[in-house]
Amino acid sequence: MNRLNLVPALLGFLALLASGSGSGAGPDVSGETLTALPDKPPAPEFTLPDIDGRTHRLSDYRGKVVVVNFWATWCPPCREEMPAMQRAWEQVRNDDIVFLGINVGETEDEIFAFTGDYRVDFPLLMDRDSAAIQDWPIRGLPTTYVVDGEGHLAYRAIGGRAWDRPEVLDQIRALR
Amino acid sequence: MPASHIMTLCGLFLLSPAGFADPVALGIDPETRLKHWEWNADGVLLRITQRLPDQTRAFFLARGFNQADADHIAGNCIFQSMFRNTGPEASGTVTSDLNDWRLSSNGKQGRLLVREHWRKLWAEREVPQSARIAFEWSLLPTQQTYAPGDYNWGMTSYGLPPDSHFDLVFTWHRNGRRLEGKIGNIQCAPDIHPEPNPANE
Repeated sequence: MNRLNLVPALLGFLALLASGSGSGAGPDVSGETLTALPDKPPAPEFTLPDIDGRTHRLSDYRGKVVVVNFWATWCPPCREEMPAMQRAWEQVRNDDIVFLGINVGETEDEIFAFTGDYRVDFPLLMDRDSAAIQDWPIRGLPTTYVVDGEGHLAYRAIGGRAWDRPEVLDQIRALR
Repeated sequence: MPASHIMTLCGLFLLSPAGFADPVALGIDPETRLKHWEWNADGVLLRITQRLPDQTRAFFLARGFNQADADHIAGNCIFQSMFRNTGPEASGTVTSDLNDWRLSSNGKQGRLLVREHWRKLWAEREVPQSARIAFEWSLLPTQQTYAPGDYNWGMTSYGLPPDSHFDLVFTWHRNGRRLEGKIGNIQCAPDIHPEPNPANE
């Protein structure tokens, strides 16, 4: 192998490092639950397309519990929690509980590539210009809110969670 | 990188001469050789991990920055960072403001370069919106309120040249009380470039 042929390998190595995978991204969250919001402020409305071109409005889901996860493909703790989120969704999908993943600032292609590595069957919405996230009380990724059937913010998680943990699912199911 | 792969150079919670556990641990990743420093005490965990300037260049070039701007970011001592409220459920929230954190290097005092600093710069340089969005959200938030168990992950920037050394004093508030921690002799990653392994040539 000559030196020139090593360039793609080096770029791949750098990309792996750049993704944050070498940084010990997330802490152990196996014991964490969701933080209740006693004042339950109204959830800001959004209208966003998903990666298949369908439009989703938060108000379309009134009457259901909605787990709204803000994330990005380059965010290691976002990637770390996504499989648990998928497993959680599989357990509650028939219980009038909806999961929406709102990607911040990326393209369909970037999200599509992500779903090649991570199976996600709930809707992935695109907030390309970050207008939606700016309406929400969010300062870092990932942040997830659980919206109750009346459209109020009931729970919050800053950072990743083990979403399929029974204690976490119980919190979500109790909102129905 | 699984935590089990992280080799700790200095043991966690080394005992100081006074008999108190040292809240700072230094570690190194055996594969990347990047160092990390971790403070874990008083219900707060702060972990900062070196990022090679080339890592940072690659990350931001892939997100729409031009070479000059990616070089500029990479030259400002970027760490991967995590801040977490590790207190028990009843301990209450922690608030943190990176504007209050201080660093000292070669006798000079400094501050972190926070989102607001960079936001102004990118507006002046007319950086594309998608790149600005990625940059903004990839940084540790300037202000945040952490419930027990909450954490944020993101880059922090110290405004120093590669390979610089500095001490960091970081602060937070819990139940109205100001607390602080210190990590000494932190090293910004050197600006080295991975070389091909001659064995593969």
